[in-house]
Amino acid sequence: MPSDKKRLSSGLTVTSKVFVMSRNGSATKVVREHYLRDDIVCYSTACNKCAELIKENPDGQIPNIQLSDVPAKLQNERHYIVVDTNIVLSAIDLLENTECFYDVIIPQTVLDEVKNKSFPIYQRLRSLVKAEEKRFVVFHNEFHEGTYVTRKHGESMNDRNDRAIRKVVSWYDNHINHDNSIEKINLVFVCNDKDCRKKAEAEGIYTKSLVDYVEMLPKADYLRELVSNDNQTFTEFQNEAKYQEYYSEARIMAGVKNKSLFKGILNISRYNFLQGTVQVPDFKKPLLVVGTKNLNRAFNSDLVVVELLPQDKWRSPSSTIVEEGSIDDYDNPDDDDDGATASNGIIPDKERILLAQEATKAITLASSGNTDVEHKLQPTAKVVGVIRRSWRYYVGQIAPTSVSADDNGNASRACFVVLMDTVLPKIRIRTRRAKELLGKRIVISVDSWEATSKYPSGHFVRSLGDIESTEAETEALLLEHDVEYRPFATNVLNCLPKEGDKWKVPENLDNGDEQLKKRKDLRGELVCSIDPPNCVDIDDALHAKPLPNGNFQVGVHIADVTHFVKANTALDDEGASRGTSVYLVDRRIDMLPLLLGTNLCSLNPYIDRYAFSVIWEVDKDANIVSVEFTKSIIRSREAFSYEAAQKRIDDKSQNDELTKSMRILLNLSKKLKQKRLNNGALNLASPEVKVHMDSETSDPGEVEIKQLLETNSLVEEFMLFANISVARKIYDSYPQTAMLRRHAPPPASNFEQLNDMLSVRKNGMHISLENSKALADSLDNCIDPKDEYFNTLVRIMSTRCMMAAEYFPSGFFGYSDFKHYGLAVDIYTHFTSPIRRYCDIVVHRQLAGAIGYEDLAQSHRDKNKMEFIVKNINKRHRNAQFAGRASIEYYVGQVMKSNESIQEGYVIKCFNNGIVVLVPKFGIEGLIRLEDLGDTDSAIYDEDKFELHFNDLHKNKRTIGVFDKVKVEIKSIKDEISGKRKAQLILQ
Amino acid sequence: MPRLELYSPEGLRVDGRRWNELRRFECKINTHPNSSDGSSYVEQGNSKIICMVQGPMEPKLRSQMDVNKANIEVSISIAHFSTFHRKKRSKNEKRIVELKTAIENTFENSIISHLYPRTFIQINIQVLAQDGGLLAGMANAATLALIDAGIAMYDYVSCVSAGLYDQYPLLDLNTLEENDMSYLTIGVIGKSEKLALLMLENKMPLDKLEPVLGLAIAGGHRVRELMDEEVRSHGKHRSQRQ
Repeated sequence: MPSDKKRLSSGLTVTSKVFVMSRNGSATKVVREHYLRDDIVCYSTACNKCAELIKENPDGQIPNIQLSDVPAKLQNERHYIVVDTNIVLSAIDLLENTECFYDVIIPQTVLDEVKNKSFPIYQRLRSLVKAEEKRFVVFHNEFHEGTYVTRKHGESMNDRNDRAIRKVVSWYDNHINHDNSIEKINLVFVCNDKDCRKKAEAEGIYTKSLVDYVEMLPKADYLRELVSNDNQTFTEFQNEAKYQEYYSEARIMAGVKNKSLFKGILNISRYNFLQGTVQVPDFKKPLLVVGTKNLNRAFNSDLVVVELLPQDKWRSPSSTIVEEGSIDDYDNPDDDDDGATASNGIIPDKERILLAQEATKAITLASSGNTDVEHKLQPTAKVVGVIRRSWRYYVGQIAPTSVSADDNGNASRACFVVLMDTVLPKIRIRTRRAKELLGKRIVISVDSWEATSKYPSGHFVRSLGDIESTEAETEALLLEHDVEYRPFATNVLNCLPKEGDKWKVPENLDNGDEQLKKRKDLRGELVCSIDPPNCVDIDDALHAKPLPNGNFQVGVHIADVTHFVKANTALDDEGASRGTSVYLVDRRIDMLPLLLGTNLCSLNPYIDRYAFSVIWEVDKDANIVSVEFTKSIIRSREAFSYEAAQKRIDDKSQNDELTKSMRILLNLSKKLKQKRLNNGALNLASPEVKVHMDSETSDPGEVEIKQLLETNSLVEEFMLFANISVARKIYDSYPQTAMLRRHAPPPASNFEQLNDMLSVRKNGMHISLENSKALADSLDNCIDPKDEYFNTLVRIMSTRCMMAAEYFPSGFFGYSDFKHYGLAVDIYTHFTSPIRRYCDIVVHRQLAGAIGYEDLAQSHRDKNKMEFIVKNINKRHRNAQFAGRASIEYYVGQVMKSNESIQEGYVIKCFNNGIVVLVPKFGIEGLIRLEDLGDTDSAIYDEDKFELHFNDLHKNKRTIGVFDKVKVEIKSIKDEISGKRKAQLILQ
Repeated sequence: MPRLELYSPEGLRVDGRRWNELRRFECKINTHPNSSDGSSYVEQGNSKIICMVQGPMEPKLRSQMDVNKANIEVSISIAHFSTFHRKKRSKNEKRIVELKTAIENTFENSIISHLYPRTFIQINIQVLAQDGGLLAGMANAATLALIDAGIAMYDYVSCVSAGLYDQYPLLDLNTLEENDMSYLTIGVIGKSEKLALLMLENKMPLDKLEPVLGLAIAGGHRVRELMDEEVRSHGKHRSQRQ
């Protein structure tokens, strides 16, 4: 509500915003001051009035006047665009599209509404404004005297906001076209709300709906497809299904508060897409959500609110494999409670609370290991609300069966898109080009999922190319893992040194540069680097030399990336948001522009480079005597590959200084490793393979298991050594915000199943979990004398039971929780690869601050900001790993095409209708369904023994259990529905 | 809950001010001429504060007497309705005691107290509404009330808060801003750059302290001008009446 306005002497007008806020169920009146001003600029270069109004920021920068004075033409008239909230929310993709929407004005009202509705879209909008490439500007109309509107009596907030937005359009029109700009610039108000458009027209504003606007653009045909289906519903599909409506917000909030409803992230099973689990802090075991009815339109990893089902519906998680098979019905075969769920709505809250208490009791009973049935029983629940959707871009392909062959018309038709991610349902889209898009990988975005529609509806975004073409598949997997792979924007590239690749370490070190003086000149040391063959981004180098007192000096030199990547620059922001470089089989997605990564920062041989050095004095047994951290200048003598370094060390005839120092390093590294192992460092395994590419055709050639040389571990040991020393130093200087990395010990429950399997199938072998030392020892004892690979297999399976290591700011945990379980050290961080990891950049800055080289950026001293950074890099790190694995998987699939063969495999999981087999040679693992094994009816699954008894296709009785070695035929097949090529395994 | 844009890339704060702008500052003196020797009323944004000064007077207790100078005591009471959520505060709450001590220390050094030996000066501060800048508002109110009471001071003590958001110093924070950033409150003596009061309760990076302090001092001078204007116009008004 408006109140009286007062004019201040400084030219501001003050008014107050009064609104009622509900908190904890009670209403509170909130009064805030609101200042109106007349010096907000219009950001148009065509404007002659605003120039004198520009005020600078505290750091002396002035805002960039962006809107072009010759904007694009719309029907022969130049125009600026003002967008409404509904346009931003439904068509952010289109706003980001490089083909349209230039010179856009976003009223602050719209920005605020978008922020409240969807924070991710708000962030995308903000980055559009920041990038300056598409000339988006935010006009703070709420603070401008000329455009601020007060809410009228009886007017809804929405109507008031709409009016405020329209006011912006007329203000701009008036401002630019009345004795100001030389050329007339039209203002187009794009809005999807009919009422608002009508009112706008009455006020003399030129307005268009999104569809109409797009139709007027030159590339209308192409752009038309990209408009979301928001306002044209799939009417013909209404009432094909009836999901339960979500509860009202008030009911959900009250329910969550009195603990009759529970909030958590839905996690859909990899093996059964009709079964999800929700981890709720109130229960030890996750709540099961089974069947489409109960899942109630929730997607994997949505933040949902669930309600418990009555106790007689509780069940054990199904041990059946269900994949989204066909286009037709896939409702859960064992979903028999259709009628019952409908009546659940009337159970009063009190009873639900009782139910929740029961559930807790049942779980405590079960976990104390009472009866077998209770052991397996899990409370079930249904989704009654979705708080936050995880919707993003999805990659998939049009299901061939959903496109009729005789359809030749140009009308847009509905068809299904099957997504790459198998835990997600099909999406219904509408397109005119269904036939053309068949057999292509396409990107779609999901718009909505009505209670009356069986499938979610979405719209086409773009096509990536043919299925199985390398480009389309690579791009698809980058998109699926949310990896930013677009080239660096110009404002990012502008942060690079102006000299480009001519940049050099200054020859005269005494040139008055204070920081340069603080660098140590280490060009005299015999530094060399050891990396994988053909490595272009060398971020570490080493040196060692004997000291007169019998000790050794060892130096680790890391590329000084932070010399080029300064905090609070566009380059830094970009690096922080990418978080890590992503390594795929055939390409690398860099975190930093190529110029830095492979040239200026990379510690290339025979050339002076800036480095950040850690120099220790160690005794003969590799105990630290002293350590020094310093920025330095080095000159690498040689860049070795692991193999070349190994050869040089082994070659007795080589006795030059460099080789000698490498031998010192190798010697010390062995001692370091032994120390680490004695402390209980784990030696885990993963079925890592490498795909060899044919260098000319870049077709994948063969697959090989990665080889490890002594020199690999040489480098690794010293990197660990450096990381640990640095971690201690930065923690010492920044006890609250030091960037560290921890690896939590695995909870016993993770190993439950593996230990069960081991004790049943392998005569009581056991993995003990008291500490990492015990675990390492018990892993060493898991040996099958008849089978060498068994030990590795157990290691692979244990790796999967481990917790993931994570980055964290030191203030988030107590010192005792800093422990890195896998490496068995009390404190750890990442310091040694700043070219490809953002964590290391932060650590470099903190270390530079700690040794007094330069002041630490504010964002690395603030707990909240650090939390934000850490969250992002943890996510990026995970995604990068997944993307890398998916890339290998794809290429292995391609290799298999020409390499179908019979191989040895191991059973690692048993279900009542199938088994999972791992083939070590190719590092692939695949599911073999019972149907493909033999007779489904006579099969018996012995849960206690992890065995499956069945009659195979030749009617022979067979029993297969976990850890069995089996022979499988590997074939490469293409799944017609999802278009994914997979290695299919057939039991011999 | 999406975070607030406390300082937008376009250079505007949540309430529409720029980084170096004060909130609305209004003050009156001699508001309670019958019940006190000096009184004032200060509005700094939505913070509203009344101050009444009694004295110099004979101390009630001998222990309150100092043969060399005046004894100054501050008492603060914060109304239950001063925030959006009603909350009872006791007078002995640690935070309030701290504020009280800060103000006492400030004025013990700003009042020319050796002119009033064996006397007692009581400063009563009543907070009616708070919206950030609590300490600054109270100290400003006290300055005005002391002037109204005719107690000799070296100069005005004009107070204002300033915070650091990201790398930007912001002047005169309101509650929303105070909750989200580290800030300091200063009291500037007259037109000088000397400080009678400096309170910093959170952490602030050392290299950013200088710009924040600089901004706060400039803001303090502006507050002094506004207070001076009121004092002079009140003086004129009184002299006309006589």
